[in-house]
Amino acid sequence: MLDTKLAESLQQIDLIDENKKLALSHFLAKGFPTHRLEEWKYASLKSLNDVSWAWQTDQKIVDLGQPAWQNGGLFQTANGHTTVKGSLPDGILFLSWEEFSKANADFMPIFEMRNPILDQNPMYDLNTALITESNVLWVKKGVHVSLPFLHQFFVDSTEKPLAVQSKLCIYMESDAEITWIEQQFSGEHSQEIMSNYVQDIWVGERSKLTLLKDQDFGPTTTQVDQTFIFQQTDSWVDMFTFSVNAAYLRNNLHFYIDGPGVMSNLNGLYVPAEDQLMDSHTVVDHRMPHSASNELYKGVLLGNSVGVFNGKIFVRPDAQKTNAFQSCKNVLASDRATMNTKPQLEIWADDVKCSHGTTTGQLSDEALFYMRSRGISESSARTLLLLAFVQQVIDKVLNEDIRAGLSEKIINKIQNSLEFNA
Amino acid sequence: MLSVKNLHAKIGEKEILKGINLEVKAGEVHAIMGPNGSGKSTLASVLAGRTDYDVTEGSVHFLGKDLLELAPEERAGEGLFLAFQYPVEIPGVSTTNFMKSAVNEIRKYRGEDSMDAVQFLKMFKEKMAYVNIDQSLLSRALNEGFSGGEKKRNEIFQMAVLNPKLAILDETDSGLDIDALRIVAEGVNKLKNPENATIIVTHYQRLLDYIVPDFVHVLYNGRIVKSGTKELALELEERGYDWIISALEN
Repeated sequence: MLDTKLAESLQQIDLIDENKKLALSHFLAKGFPTHRLEEWKYASLKSLNDVSWAWQTDQKIVDLGQPAWQNGGLFQTANGHTTVKGSLPDGILFLSWEEFSKANADFMPIFEMRNPILDQNPMYDLNTALITESNVLWVKKGVHVSLPFLHQFFVDSTEKPLAVQSKLCIYMESDAEITWIEQQFSGEHSQEIMSNYVQDIWVGERSKLTLLKDQDFGPTTTQVDQTFIFQQTDSWVDMFTFSVNAAYLRNNLHFYIDGPGVMSNLNGLYVPAEDQLMDSHTVVDHRMPHSASNELYKGVLLGNSVGVFNGKIFVRPDAQKTNAFQSCKNVLASDRATMNTKPQLEIWADDVKCSHGTTTGQLSDEALFYMRSRGISESSARTLLLLAFVQQVIDKVLNEDIRAGLSEKIINKIQNSLEFNA
Repeated sequence: MLSVKNLHAKIGEKEILKGINLEVKAGEVHAIMGPNGSGKSTLASVLAGRTDYDVTEGSVHFLGKDLLELAPEERAGEGLFLAFQYPVEIPGVSTTNFMKSAVNEIRKYRGEDSMDAVQFLKMFKEKMAYVNIDQSLLSRALNEGFSGGEKKRNEIFQMAVLNPKLAILDETDSGLDIDALRIVAEGVNKLKNPENATIIVTHYQRLLDYIVPDFVHVLYNGRIVKSGTKELALELEERGYDWIISALEN
């Protein structure tokens, strides 16, 4: 239950839409999720119930600039409001959810009948209730765009603690291909931010999507990112989640495999330090036969940080001949860091290949001694081993500029944390 | 070069070295032999600075420095090298990158300038010839999925690159077939010069057919119980260790 003052501030918001009203009442019943909810056991947001949030802001966002490598389409979402910079290639539209639904009347019933969202959590309700702007990137049939789209996702509040609800959907028709690079960050001197972001992504038949999230927020930001990917027959998705910085990061990543011949690759890397918390909850829901999913998550836990990995794989009765693999490997680079892992496989089909493995350990003393005996100092040896450990995920990023940028950022973070704690 | 005096070491509560005395001079090759469990590998590990062991008594001086005061990486900086009995897998780090880090950290320790990529390329090429090692092996993650022979050859390659003053080869012959053994031994022989020294720790005499020692020491129950020249090794091969042990016990 929410603090009365907080509940009042929310009830003052005048909602007309019945769905929104219902969603708000669901949120008000529970408040921000606490450890009492099984799925939020290690990542409670209880303290957010005591903050007097602004639920909206008029703050103007200055130009965010753009990286030199970027020459495709540029999208900027600032405190939930998205604008497109420059022109988009033929066959790519960016429009509001309302406009999109009008233009796709046939699709709407299909979309509404989509698989029920698992983990109907208060954060999803809060997003539904208070979302002010919901947009869709619409990729028409057969459109291939080789240059990556860059999405700068920015939150900032100069005055008071701000709760931001954002939503951006991607709808790819059949035979299309795009790359979406999302850089999530916050203002340098921002007040406390609670950013609650939902993405619905539809990948049509034989379409291919590469989606990369680079999460690098300031120390006052809490980000809850819920991404739902619905994959149709013979589609292919390469997903990357790089969790670099934030006070608190919760990623709910759900894959719904709704046709045969689907390939879903989930790659994740988290490097929390200090008192940061990073929680990755993934679901791969195999509903149709002859599909494959590969999940590789790695974590280096520094300082006092806490990491969580919960990986669910469902193989439904119809999903025969499924190949589903999951691996989550963690290194505790500090005595004070903790990692909680929970792989969960539920398999109802009998002709499938599934495997999972999670490990959490420290750097091997044998390896460290071996390296030191060759003249490498202990701190260099630790750094070398940790960098080699994370590189496996970073190397899967094909775009050279993006890979180099990420690599440098993550290497610096690990090195700084090791030096700080040395 | 190396002066070990009355060295005692234990692991946990168990005393393994019970007073080792050993003098090694530049240009010499010493073989340390002995039955399993006699303390051979412990001696090698203590000299290289493995922290699992507590030195309880005695001293070790290396080129005038108190070796026991130095961290493993400082010992390497001073010119000590241990070829491991079981080389450790270093996932994700190639031999080349590993050696570049090692060489430059040692150079830094000695107050020398770093080497650049071009210099490394030239040096690696030259050293690869010593042990007949292939470039493709050096690009792979160090020791990961290497065969026994590849691991040992890689150790000798590292030794060639670091060019130590004192090399300790811990059971380098174990797990090697005769061809690999010959290649490894040839590498060691090529690296030998009047300025450096080698200690070969081994259970069998086999390796000593290829690397001829100046001195042979028998280690038993934590002490050197017999020293001699290369003929002692041959005698050990023929008669085993029992005659020495029973002579001691009587």
